[in-house]
Amino acid sequence: MNLLDISTYLGHLHPLVVHLPIGFLLLAVIFQIISYWPKWAFLKGAVSIILLLGFISAVFACIFGYLLAGSGDYDYYLVNSHRNSGIFIAVLSGLLYASTLSPISNRFKIPSKIFSILLIALTGIMAYSGHQGAGLTHGTDYLNLQILTKKERVPPPSVDEAFIYEDVVQPILENKCGSCHQGGKRKGGLSIQQLQGLLKGGKTGPAVVPGNLSESELFRRITLSPTDEKFMPSDGKPALTSGETAIIRWWIEKAMAVEGKKIKELQETQKIKGLVAYSLKLGESPEDEEGGSDSIAVNPDIPSTVDQIAIESLRKKGVVVRVMLQKPAMLDLTLPSGKGIALNTVSDEIGKIAKNTVWLNLSGNNLTEKELGVLSSFSNLEKLRLERNPVSDGIFDLVVGLKHLESINLSETKISKSGLEKLGPSSSVKRVYCWGTGASEVVGDSSGVWVR
Amino acid sequence: MSHHHDDEFRIYSKEFEDLHKKWDRRQFLTQTTLGLGALALGGLFGKNIPGASPAAMGSLEQDILAALPHFAPKAKRVVYLFMSGGPSQFETFDYKPKLIELAGQNLPDSVRKGQRLTGMSANQSSLPIAPSFYKFNQHGKSQTWVSELLPHTASVVDDLCVVKSIYTEAINHDPAITFFQTGSQLPGRPSIGSWISYGLGTDNENLPSFIVLISKNAQKDQPLYSRLWGNGFLPSQHQGVQFRTGKDPVLFLNNPEGYDGTDRKEMLEYLSKLNTLQNDGYGDPEVVARIAQYEMAYRMQTSVPEVMDIKDEPDEVFELYGKDSRDPGTYAANCLLARKLLEKDVKFIQLYHQGWDQHGSLPSGIAQQCKTTDQATAAFIKDLKRRGLLEDTLVIWGGEFGRTVYTQGKYIADNYGRDHHPRCFTMWMAGAGVKAGFNYGETDDFSYNIVRNPVHVHDFQATLLHLMGIDHERLTFKFQGRKFRLTDVEGHLVKDILA
Repeated sequence: MNLLDISTYLGHLHPLVVHLPIGFLLLAVIFQIISYWPKWAFLKGAVSIILLLGFISAVFACIFGYLLAGSGDYDYYLVNSHRNSGIFIAVLSGLLYASTLSPISNRFKIPSKIFSILLIALTGIMAYSGHQGAGLTHGTDYLNLQILTKKERVPPPSVDEAFIYEDVVQPILENKCGSCHQGGKRKGGLSIQQLQGLLKGGKTGPAVVPGNLSESELFRRITLSPTDEKFMPSDGKPALTSGETAIIRWWIEKAMAVEGKKIKELQETQKIKGLVAYSLKLGESPEDEEGGSDSIAVNPDIPSTVDQIAIESLRKKGVVVRVMLQKPAMLDLTLPSGKGIALNTVSDEIGKIAKNTVWLNLSGNNLTEKELGVLSSFSNLEKLRLERNPVSDGIFDLVVGLKHLESINLSETKISKSGLEKLGPSSSVKRVYCWGTGASEVVGDSSGVWVR
Repeated sequence: MSHHHDDEFRIYSKEFEDLHKKWDRRQFLTQTTLGLGALALGGLFGKNIPGASPAAMGSLEQDILAALPHFAPKAKRVVYLFMSGGPSQFETFDYKPKLIELAGQNLPDSVRKGQRLTGMSANQSSLPIAPSFYKFNQHGKSQTWVSELLPHTASVVDDLCVVKSIYTEAINHDPAITFFQTGSQLPGRPSIGSWISYGLGTDNENLPSFIVLISKNAQKDQPLYSRLWGNGFLPSQHQGVQFRTGKDPVLFLNNPEGYDGTDRKEMLEYLSKLNTLQNDGYGDPEVVARIAQYEMAYRMQTSVPEVMDIKDEPDEVFELYGKDSRDPGTYAANCLLARKLLEKDVKFIQLYHQGWDQHGSLPSGIAQQCKTTDQATAAFIKDLKRRGLLEDTLVIWGGEFGRTVYTQGKYIADNYGRDHHPRCFTMWMAGAGVKAGFNYGETDDFSYNIVRNPVHVHDFQATLLHLMGIDHERLTFKFQGRKFRLTDVEGHLVKDILA
């Protein structure tokens, strides 16, 4: 056992030991008062020894309390004030005891009434200090009058029915900022308890300016780098999650920092509904905080499994099969250029994994449309590379049925302007690379990228 | 009486015998404490990872690799144009017109906020503000501000995602560049390219998945060290391979004089058998790495001369990249070479250009740097774009830190210097998965502090890995008793810049 362990252990005894001086000193007051009745007058003689016991136990309570405060997890101001009042109690009880000793009381006589009043005052201070101590241990809202008057909000039944400020924003602020900016505490002059408090702000100006993010000090402080000394919440208290920050951003920017409005009464709520649902525990986290796989929309038609024998066989034949995602099984297939692997020698295996293939690279393989009939089976294809092949406009007929196709690379092929026109307005294709072809002139810039 | 009974409790299994033979402490510990009895879970598809054979790895590593990729990647390859020395943001991308009226005045303490300075300017009696000597204009549909020093880059801004709010923790070159490349200011961790090679393997078994190119036509003001592309504690075959200029792009690849190489393959096969025997006996992963390296070197005897050969490139390409591109080893030639390597599906290309450390004579120094690199950089973007390679390639441009708003030494309008500044600087990315024609982040009027959307080096690294399909928190490697990752214990995905 080392010194730290002992001091921690003794510190933890403070809440126990502290009740000894409370008991003794309370008893001293009671004896002192009832000794005014002649029947109990003999108790007056006991007050002195009880004060001594109270004084000694108070000193121990102070020492243990000091050790407990050293563990550091307490509110600085509250601890300071509790410590001062505790020391004051110990000192006062010591002085009162001393005044009862004959060498002192002979020279400096305290009138009995004054002595009683001082004792009663002592209990008053003790009650005050005890309340602070309880606040440190159980939290400041453990015992306060607001509990009697506070009404619990009924949780909203749905996201649409939720009040943006009262049900969503306010609980976030209360949770993340409340320990320093509400109730008795207004660090930096800011109270977040009410919307007016936010609009009024603190020493550095208004915390929230409706519709103006850059003027909203609150938003600026919660989005600073966590290493910045101005970052909030300060002192390593839990920061707002990205979802919470997004909600507050939206509330200030898009909802003009309103109160008393339901989500359904507001505009442009699409982006935050998922976040609000999550914060109200009405739904799952809309996305992994760090952008897990579910944050990227994946085409649901892609099979979750894949023919592994076909993959092995293709790899043996020199086709590069890259796994893009395990579930669903998404593949990126490359038929290496210049290796002389004929497409028809691998088309059986390719057909088996076609639905899993989202990227396909057949560039530089001397292919024409005739050999590319297999393309129609790539129903989930998103990117197709066919550059440096002698394909011509017929290629567009082959890909027109691919509903997920976004980009086709046809640079340095034999396509022409009229080929591009085959991509009707309903086509999913967003980019066609036509540099080095007859179609490149219809594209504005020299890169030859046709963009829808 | 029952003196043989304890035999029944002995474990006779091949795995146990194998374990006895393994001497490598790390292997022994991982396999006994974590792996024994547990079936080594292979990847769903058995990925193409050289050296990921069970003998070389504990099952912990196997499990981590088997889970990759964590999400569908946007980028298949990365090219990182590293501007070593710390390019000034003031003369390139971070336009600060308010500095003009403050020229020569002392930097207010309210801006600096007591932030540390380097030993080079900490003792200056004043810190005079130096506005950019060069003019800025807005370019492209994105109306991005670019300095007159970068006319070619300005012509491709609509393809760039300019991040003006990168910040780092280091204030001097070595720790700063090490931090960018490995996620730690102290040497010894794996480089970004090594992590990617380790995690994702290779798409072209004839070339290394991580290749390094260094410009020869740059002022070598700050050194580069091979540990910047080192594999750290990852298996050795994942270190970056530097392609040099001159006769031997990769050292020791050519056959020695008087040897025609016809029986090379046979020799290597026998050597591989010997090495395999050695590995069976000792289980040292370095033996596996060595086998892989010999085989790679053999394949590179054909693949490297092929990819280095630029004689088939049409004149138009050399005109695009600038006349330097005909001179191998220059920045322009390296950009062209990088394109050729990308076409071969090399996964990570790290290109370095030194000379951006302008403590003095910045206006002339940075003009020269820009002149050497601007055209080729823009050409690289244009070339990748028209070939469709920007579709699945991520290009990154940036240095290890920025530079100060105040001049180091005296302020003269056309001759000033800038010291190192870690608190904000500009980088750009382009291509797969990032928004094109997009500006992100904002600095104050002095480009001294970030006022909006700070991006830490670890955030940048996390985002880079994300685009490659890797969750930066899940690609780890256990070494000396703890799991390491590129972003250490930090890093947040910068979602706002994702396309």
